[in-house]
Amino acid sequence: MFKARKGAALLATLAAVTLTAAACGGSDSDKPAGGGTQAKELKLWHYEGPDSAMGVAWNQAIKEFEAAHPGVKVKFEEKGFEQIQKTAPMVLNSKDAPDIMEYNKGNATAGLLSKQGLLTDLTPQVTKRGWDKLVPANVQTIAKYDSRGVMGGDKWYGVPNYAEYLQVFYNKDTFDKYKVKVPATFDEFTTAMDTFAKKGVTPLANAGAEYMAQQYLYQLALSKADPTWVSNYERYTGKVNFHDPAWTYAATTLSDWVKKGYIAKNSVSIKAEDAGTQFIAGKFPMLFSGSWWFGRFQKEIKFDWGTFAWPGSNMTLGSGGNIWVVPQGSKNKDLAYDFIDITMKKNIQNALAANGGVPVAADASAISDAKTKELVQNYNTLAQRNGLAYYPDWPVPGFYDTLVSQTQKLINGSASPDKVLGDLQKAYDGGVPK
Amino acid sequence: MAYLPYLIPGLLLFIGVIAVPFAMNIGISFTRWAGVGTPEWVGLHNYRELVKDSEFWASFRHQIALVFGMSLIPALIGLVLAAMLTDVIGKRFGARTATVLRACIYVPQLLPIVVAGIVWSWILAPDTGAANKLLQAVGLGSLAHDWLGDPKTAMWSVMVVMVWFQIGFPLVIFMSGMQRVDPALYEAAELDGASWWRRFWHITVTQIRPEIFVVLLITTIYSLKSFPQIYVLTKGGPGGATNVPSYYSFQNFFDKTQVGYGASVATVLTAITIVLAVAFIRVQQRTEVEGQ
Amino acid sequence: MTLLEAERRPAVRPPAKPVPGRRRRNPSNYVVLAALIVLALVMLIPIVIVAFNALKTPQEYSNNGPLAVPHGLNLDGVKAFWTRVDYGEKLLNSVIISGTVAVLGVILSILNAYALGIGRVAGRSWLLVLLLMANLMPQEALVYPLYYLSKQLGLYDTRYSVIIVFTVIQSAFGTYLLSSVLVAFPRPLLEAARIDGANRWQVLWRIVVPISRPTIVVLLVFFFIWTWNEFLIPLVMLISNENQTVSVALGVLQGQRLMDATMSSASALLGIIPTLVFFLIFQRTLSRGITVGAIK
Repeated sequence: MFKARKGAALLATLAAVTLTAAACGGSDSDKPAGGGTQAKELKLWHYEGPDSAMGVAWNQAIKEFEAAHPGVKVKFEEKGFEQIQKTAPMVLNSKDAPDIMEYNKGNATAGLLSKQGLLTDLTPQVTKRGWDKLVPANVQTIAKYDSRGVMGGDKWYGVPNYAEYLQVFYNKDTFDKYKVKVPATFDEFTTAMDTFAKKGVTPLANAGAEYMAQQYLYQLALSKADPTWVSNYERYTGKVNFHDPAWTYAATTLSDWVKKGYIAKNSVSIKAEDAGTQFIAGKFPMLFSGSWWFGRFQKEIKFDWGTFAWPGSNMTLGSGGNIWVVPQGSKNKDLAYDFIDITMKKNIQNALAANGGVPVAADASAISDAKTKELVQNYNTLAQRNGLAYYPDWPVPGFYDTLVSQTQKLINGSASPDKVLGDLQKAYDGGVPK
Repeated sequence: MAYLPYLIPGLLLFIGVIAVPFAMNIGISFTRWAGVGTPEWVGLHNYRELVKDSEFWASFRHQIALVFGMSLIPALIGLVLAAMLTDVIGKRFGARTATVLRACIYVPQLLPIVVAGIVWSWILAPDTGAANKLLQAVGLGSLAHDWLGDPKTAMWSVMVVMVWFQIGFPLVIFMSGMQRVDPALYEAAELDGASWWRRFWHITVTQIRPEIFVVLLITTIYSLKSFPQIYVLTKGGPGGATNVPSYYSFQNFFDKTQVGYGASVATVLTAITIVLAVAFIRVQQRTEVEGQ
Repeated sequence: MTLLEAERRPAVRPPAKPVPGRRRRNPSNYVVLAALIVLALVMLIPIVIVAFNALKTPQEYSNNGPLAVPHGLNLDGVKAFWTRVDYGEKLLNSVIISGTVAVLGVILSILNAYALGIGRVAGRSWLLVLLLMANLMPQEALVYPLYYLSKQLGLYDTRYSVIIVFTVIQSAFGTYLLSSVLVAFPRPLLEAARIDGANRWQVLWRIVVPISRPTIVVLLVFFFIWTWNEFLIPLVMLISNENQTVSVALGVLQGQRLMDATMSSASALLGIIPTLVFFLIFQRTLSRGITVGAIK
């Protein structure tokens, strides 16, 4: 019996200890933010890695903000992309919302929350502080929403700090080895891919399980499209027909390229991270992807590499980056505006560029590194000619998954281009806000 | 009735954490709702859509495959392994050897599923994956395959991963059950000249029937809740070839922000689970009665 | 007719003592041994791969792929992950949450099982199925309602919310398992204690709990590990970084667009180690517990 009692006592003690621990631990989150008027706190969330261009630049902005606002402490928390994607509506609808946060642009995210009144209308601040003059019109689209929560509206609900766009990264060493020259036209591009394929080298890296495959598809469609087509597709300004010439060309060309060996059939289950590391390892001569790889490629690639825009297309995928939003429940709105203002200043924007990011208000003359300069200049050219055509998954919530699974079918040949386009049409029509 | 007070905390918590939220979930399933704002009442609309939804029905067919991968096959393998470990290893090579081997086989159960998913996607990767490298090394390069990318093999690959993940649970439970079997039964059978398989079938399996039922029930239910496994391995792909109802409802809740529709999927799933559990327990009772 | 009675079994027999002469081994025994060793190694391969990649530099990973053996010991990934997510804090949160859930879940299971298994409350098999529903429900269905309820109660973004929810969910399995054991509890022991003047409460804590201890330990271990690995509900309920658990921190970082694979592996390794250690510590108790008590 003695042993038994010891066991019960042990259990009881264990219970008591963990309970107290939970009680102590739980209470600190109930403390009021700020703690009175004296020591103010700006609660700031974003989800960029500490070594990324945005991470570095924003960290610098936090320091500058604190220097300019004595007595205010920035309480920064690093979040995950998925985490914000899934939980933002719940967080912003509670009293635990941050004062300012980075949020995903688009109708299904910022648009939806602006419609529900969970985000602050920033229009007065934008005009007062002149942010609208810094951000090119092509990039502004993702910051402004109408009363239905559709982007390209009249009210600012967010402010983009950086931009992103897609281009072809290529391995100069491999190009030299096979005596291929950098293509300037679409025909040269096809010839180049043909040369590689005949030598048994798959020319394009691809990740069918994630965003890369659908970006090839959309880019192919864009090369046969115009800005009205894009607006119809992204902003519901007109009828969208997936059996139109642009989409039909895209789907048949992509499936054709797989048959010709330009894109590997077995790239269906590859993730973007793996496609990126395979390019870094020199396994593919080309990768068509976003400027978000730029900083990492600069750091990790050992061979000589360069970039070129998708040949034969006026438009390419790209947009303003994620946006700063001020939740309706923010307790320090004025401080939040001040912070956004600092991130739009020249030195922070230049810090973004210096670390491989594409700043919205770019000043190419202030950049010394040749590759970075080219990156920023290409962006300026694109933005000036309205060449940023956003992403294919934006118009409908959950369309990303549909696009992934439909392009997978296209690549492994389990459905014809016609069937794929038909299914895309069905999902698009079913999800478009009425 | 004197024992009723002991049930009060359990029942109160159950009502607050399970019953009320589930009732709310049923309520949500009658609405169109994006997760914020005011839900719009649409009556049975979501359920009518559900009946017509071919993706939803396809996900049920995949679910059946998953019951094999997560419940029946692991239970079967676990049974044979448990018998080998108890009967051969435990008796001829000592209990310590058996314990160590059992621990190794149980380890996958300890892995956070996120981790397990990432590692397996490396192993099954088409170009650089260990599975294909291994096939090439032994001269079977022609069998190398895009395991998770081909809709014909994706579900099979997921099943293999699930078996790897699940075997430990039945093994541990069955081995403990076998400890309970009276050794005299085996000795008598051995004297009668019964083969190992006969002894296994007529003594071991019959004696640990309660454990077999518990394992099958728990793992079948577990397979119905397999959202995290699918999420990390395939996200339902390629082309929906591995989508299951629990992942489908998750997609509707969080990716498509069609919370009302997601709630109706979850309600149907719960109803099926309950029917299954009750039917299972009924069968279990009947077999037990026959067995006595 | 009930599930409980179906589980009832004769009392435990002493484990088989090795009989002299039993240890003679024939060649087929060695074949079985070899096969099982190979199987055990196959089961461990994925963990070895994780450990390998956790110790590589990102360059080494990009150039040699995920399956190559690392050249040296590089702890940068591990260190970087540790500081980036403040892993110590996450570890503490997970221990507090899983530990509390394990203890409270077991207490709740004991109370429920006492009433159902020993008290044989009327309609007990239906009550049991009802309680088991906590375990049957797909968790996605609970997320939105639980969010609104916890917000009403001011428990949103506190560890309490997660602790309460998982105490109920885990105790469903505990009630099921424990009441099937308690149905077969030796009645004479209970009656003897009642004659000595002990009331029901005293009987529970002085007789029933000590004797069922092996099963209780099994439940503690299972509850701890299960709660540790839970992802969805903690992700939704624990918003502040200071409340987050290890598996949420892991899962969140895995979803990052530019998370390099070596840091992923480092995080994975750090995620496995605690449960592995916990399991190894309790492995002996676990096997004894299951052997003596779990399912009769």
